Amino acid sequence: MAGRIYAGVDVGSLSSEALVLGDDGVLSYSIVSTGANPQRAARICLGEALARAGREEKAISRLVATGYGRIRVPFADREVTEITCHARGAHYLFPTTGTVIDIGGQDSKVITLDERGGVSDFVMNDRCAAGTGRFLEVMAAALETELRDMGRRSLQAKKGVSISSMCTVFAESEVISLIAEGQRGEEIIRGLHEAISRRIFRMTKRLRVREEITFSGGVAKNEGIAETLKGLFGTQINIPEEPQIVGALGAALYARDMEHRGS
Amino acid sequence: MQHKQTSLKVLTWLVQSPLTYCCLRPILDLLNMREENPAYRIWVRFLLDVTRRAYARKQPVIWMSAFAPTEIAYGLRAVPFIPEIIASLVAYFGWSHRPIALADSHISTDLCSFYRCSLGLALEGFFPRPDLIISSSYLCDGANKLLHYFSQIYGCPHLMVDPPYRDGAAGRRYMVDQLKGLAGTTCKLLDLPLDEGYLSQVLTLSDEARAYMAKINRLRRSAPSPLPGSEGLSYLAGMNFYSLGSRWGVDFFRSLYRYLEKKVTRGQGYLPREKSRLLWLHHIRPYYRNEIFQILAERGVAVSFEEANYLYWPPLDPSRPWESLADKILSNVWAGPLERRIEAIGNMVEDYRIDGVVHFSHWGCRQSCGGAGVIGDWLKERGIPYIILPGDGADQDNYSPGQTRTRVEALVEMLE
Repeated sequence: MAGRIYAGVDVGSLSSEALVLGDDGVLSYSIVSTGANPQRAARICLGEALARAGREEKAISRLVATGYGRIRVPFADREVTEITCHARGAHYLFPTTGTVIDIGGQDSKVITLDERGGVSDFVMNDRCAAGTGRFLEVMAAALETELRDMGRRSLQAKKGVSISSMCTVFAESEVISLIAEGQRGEEIIRGLHEAISRRIFRMTKRLRVREEITFSGGVAKNEGIAETLKGLFGTQINIPEEPQIVGALGAALYARDMEHRGS
Repeated sequence: MQHKQTSLKVLTWLVQSPLTYCCLRPILDLLNMREENPAYRIWVRFLLDVTRRAYARKQPVIWMSAFAPTEIAYGLRAVPFIPEIIASLVAYFGWSHRPIALADSHISTDLCSFYRCSLGLALEGFFPRPDLIISSSYLCDGANKLLHYFSQIYGCPHLMVDPPYRDGAAGRRYMVDQLKGLAGTTCKLLDLPLDEGYLSQVLTLSDEARAYMAKINRLRRSAPSPLPGSEGLSYLAGMNFYSLGSRWGVDFFRSLYRYLEKKVTRGQGYLPREKSRLLWLHHIRPYYRNEIFQILAERGVAVSFEEANYLYWPPLDPSRPWESLADKILSNVWAGPLERRIEAIGNMVEDYRIDGVVHFSHWGCRQSCGGAGVIGDWLKERGIPYIILPGDGADQDNYSPGQTRTRVEALVEMLE
């Protein structure tokens, strides 16, 4: 198989993704758990993505690393922040995107884009991981439910229970108390989703949000949060087929640009 | 436990002994021998001298908050002592954990960490005893409260500089009367003569330093940037707060001017290759070990100027010391209406050919949190990339390396 290939590796706090791009589009991707060794996770997901594309590592012309663990990818040609990569990836998938909401394992970000897919402004959550993927994982464990079922279950509830604390530790205690009070799990989950969505909505107030809105990151797979966000913004929200790979896609696109520019 | 207490007692004794600073001077001179910037050596010597005199207690010691005019203390032949500056030095050496932890058992953790660090150091007994405390109601909202608390701890009087919101003739008259009253009360409390002739000499020194500051700021407009912003926010801003009105201040600013003049003549920047220029807003930066300035430098982004060193006050007239000091206080662009600060930022962006702006948002600092958003909107309307960088100047526990790196690098990518 001929042709140049480019790779993007997004090393997040919970999961790592690698994406292999050709001159004509996406060839393959892989998602693995990051675990305690980001470098190893980067290597494994890249290996898997290459195997799926039927290519070898030496065929990669350029590789860009992104995500919080980007500085731990020694085989990358360049590091680019996940803010820039999510903007680029979302713009590639939805060229008229004006705003990206990215909720990952420990960060949530809202990014506004210029017409070319560049970042015009952004906000990030502070040090607290409230309302991120890790927060949902802890809540799923407290509710003794699967993370992947949370979205579906929340949509079965007519209303959400009010959740007053967004601190992961306090919210976990609150959820346990609500279960003990006999509240339905579906309503608790919906309440959690509403609290997370309100938090994101509040973050967007610090920016000039432009439509269209694209939702990326692992939490975008949760249809319950996607629904509540749609309600809050009063508009449709683009959700990529695989929202978890948007950062890696952006990184691979930067890798391809680097090659084309000869940099 | 007992061993620790003995070590602490020895350390306190060493810190409190004027002899320590006499011994440290030749040692630090030797260590700084290779330092190419002579102004840095003057800063070190100044700190040793002013601290030695504060512990020697041969002159009255006046504690001041960072924005209270030191010319008053120098003009009364007293020794100024600024706890916030000492807190920033303690943070720089990575020693702020213990005093902050001690202060947290006495005061809300919402308070600025420079104040908490100062309080902890005072409670540990490291600070020289004040004869009087003068705080200013601008800019830091916690200054009056904390310094009043200090006055209760040490049982000494506390006076306040409280400028009006707006300048103008009425505001100026009010400020002049207040400063005269403050100096008069200070003289009465400390049994000092009020020598206006000497105060005029002090203002002459302050104005001489100001003239060099203006020249330094003009040199810093050059590309490539001759002085790292990290230094502008450390010893340069420190001397700006602490030395004006002293001979040390004149020597420092003259020396820095000459050093930078040589660098600019040679076209020598502080980065090997300067790609873009940043303006740093807020008076402080994280002083403990952090990566912010390294990340920027590695990507060719210079912190070309800091608003901490913006020269906002007009030349002083030593023949009219009270009016000059009133004008200096009232022209502070960080006090009063936000429009003044925005206008100053606009001037800095233009003068220093700024490509992007960082507004450091220090934990517990109320003086800039409201303005940060408005300033951001103003800059973004003009197409200038801008980030609010949350952090803490003195408390390393409030520093988040990963998130800080992402925010700073994203700004750099916006500049690219």
